[in-house]
Amino acid sequence: MSIVTENLTKTFNGLVAVNGVSLKVTKGTIFGLLGPNGAGKSTFLRMICTVLRPTSGHGSIEGFDIVNDTNEVRKTIGVVQEKLLLYPTLTAIENLEFFGRLYGIRGKPLREKAEALIEEVKLTSVKDRPVGTYSTGMRQRINLVRALIHDPKVIILDEPTNGLDPQSVRWVRDYVKRLKERNLTVLVTTHDMHEAEELMDELAIMDRGGVLAVGRTADLKRSQDVATIEDLFLKLTGRELRDEVSSRLKRRGW
Amino acid sequence: MANNIFYDIYIIMKKDLTEFMRIRARLVTMILLPIILIVLFGYMFPSTGSITHISIAVVNQDQSQAGLNIVSQFISSAQSSGLFNVISMGSLSSAQNQLVSGNVYAIIIFHQGLGQQLRSSGTATVQVIIDQANPSLDAAIQGELTQIFSSLRLSATLASASSSQVTPIYQGLIPQTSNTIEFLAPGLIAMTTILAGLSGLAMTFSREKELGTLDGLLMTPISRLSIILGKGFAQVVRGLASGVLVFILAMILFGVHIYGSIWLMALVLTLGILAFTGMGIIATSFVSDQESAQLIMMMIQFPMIFLSGALYPVIQLPSWLRIISDILPLTYVISAFRSVMLLNAPFSAISGDVYILLIFTLVVFAIALPLFQRTVTK
Ligand SMILES: Nc1ncnc2c1ncn2[C@@H]1O[C@H](COP(=O)(O)OP(=O)(O)O)[C@@H](O)[C@H]1O
Ligand SMILES: [Mg+2]
Repeated sequence: MSIVTENLTKTFNGLVAVNGVSLKVTKGTIFGLLGPNGAGKSTFLRMICTVLRPTSGHGSIEGFDIVNDTNEVRKTIGVVQEKLLLYPTLTAIENLEFFGRLYGIRGKPLREKAEALIEEVKLTSVKDRPVGTYSTGMRQRINLVRALIHDPKVIILDEPTNGLDPQSVRWVRDYVKRLKERNLTVLVTTHDMHEAEELMDELAIMDRGGVLAVGRTADLKRSQDVATIEDLFLKLTGRELRDEVSSRLKRRGW
Repeated sequence: MANNIFYDIYIIMKKDLTEFMRIRARLVTMILLPIILIVLFGYMFPSTGSITHISIAVVNQDQSQAGLNIVSQFISSAQSSGLFNVISMGSLSSAQNQLVSGNVYAIIIFHQGLGQQLRSSGTATVQVIIDQANPSLDAAIQGELTQIFSSLRLSATLASASSSQVTPIYQGLIPQTSNTIEFLAPGLIAMTTILAGLSGLAMTFSREKELGTLDGLLMTPISRLSIILGKGFAQVVRGLASGVLVFILAMILFGVHIYGSIWLMALVLTLGILAFTGMGIIATSFVSDQESAQLIMMMIQFPMIFLSGALYPVIQLPSWLRIISDILPLTYVISAFRSVMLLNAPFSAISGDVYILLIFTLVVFAIALPLFQRTVTK
């Protein structure tokens, strides 16, 4: 197992954001956390990324405890959050080198690694421009490879396709599949059932801080006797996955 | 791949400074604010307030009966005027130490043979050394002393028939004549650099929080301490740079000079900036939004600007405000900084201020670090 959590819980001043989540993620697979806005996905990820301290429960990544072995965990994981982990005034190469140095990589190996990653996402021609001047899609590409600067074994992505144009969404999903081919473990959240359907080997369905169902995507649908993930969510919660407002906005072209 | 905390601090500091240099609005404010301040204050004279109980030292080198009589008459006359608090000093050098340390504002030297000279010629001079750091105070002290000397009834004291007159000769600690901006420049330099530190560090943290990059830093294997210190030292570098800028302006526009050690000045400023960055973290850790944070900063800044002695001498304040002024850390920075810059005070003369600042900085960071830790991991 690459990621294990037991009863992981986080409360903010009485509000239970994550409620006793126990998960096991197999090495070299893509594991999805599917849930509506406010389900607690980001809070769960921030706990296993050692940014937030759990209120109770345990977790480990590649055998390292998320509370006691924070430095080992930090070296093991590469994280893509909802917000970009990039400084807009710094260039692509400066951003990658800055983070690389904080992971203890230096000099020529660092420069070569940074340039190779930038080349991989086809941004070499703009590598000396501040990333604030990039298009949203370009920024997300740099943001993705930034998480790989220190060769992590586990990649954690929080809604990586949110707010992107269809072409960039396609690109990000293909990239996530390529990460799996490199035998990396991928944990990714989404509130998009198509994404869940397409990408995930295994899926945990989250709502209101808790996990409602876990399993291989096909098994989950079969066990609940539904055709799509959206139906599955409806059956488990009695609600639509996408909340009313966002689907109405989407219909109007937002 | 072992991380070295000094290297981590340096990397964070360099990143913050690079960001700062690239955000044009921030760079422009850093340059414009000192220009506005120095021009505004440079052409504005501080008003002479009513002076009371200003400490002055008397050194009597004339131990003859006549000399002793003159000195005691001067002391009682100066004391009863209510303007001065006279301290008798055994030697000139100990009096000078007191002057440089800012404990007395003037030294009056009664030379050997003064009584003799007065009796024979009817006139004599006494030498007055004045702390020229503050011209308005300087002028007020000179005026009052001249009046006291002219009102002394020396003929009775000396038992001589003709009228006798003692004239004070004034002399500054610094050979040149001083101007108002010389008094203001150190205060302005210290104030602009240090107050920027108060909001500077807290602002870079809330900016990184808003951007989301703070999580990125927290997920790397560097310590929280190196993040906060790296950012703190970026503020120090930025503060010192703007201090140099104010100084160059004051030099070009108003002919201000540095008489003391630049290293001591930098030391005092560095401590001041660090103390204030820590205060900024404490102030902002109690509020969640940036707007309240700004309000708290204003509440700390405003009284400090006016009570710290940056713009006019603390001695002109009423005593209850002077007590508040004594508690404010900016007061110590400015008094030490001014003594070094204008009076060439050695470390020993400002060591009291420096130790107070050092302790203050350490206490502030001892409080700020756990608060920072709590805010980011809550
Ligand atoms: N730092 C925080 N302080 C207080 N409440 C928070 C904080 N972070 C998240 N929450 C709350 O926790 C709940 C779960 O949020 P989140 O984990 O962001 O959900 P998701 O990522 O699934 O949309 C929400 O109700 C949110 O308002
Ligand atoms: Mg989220």
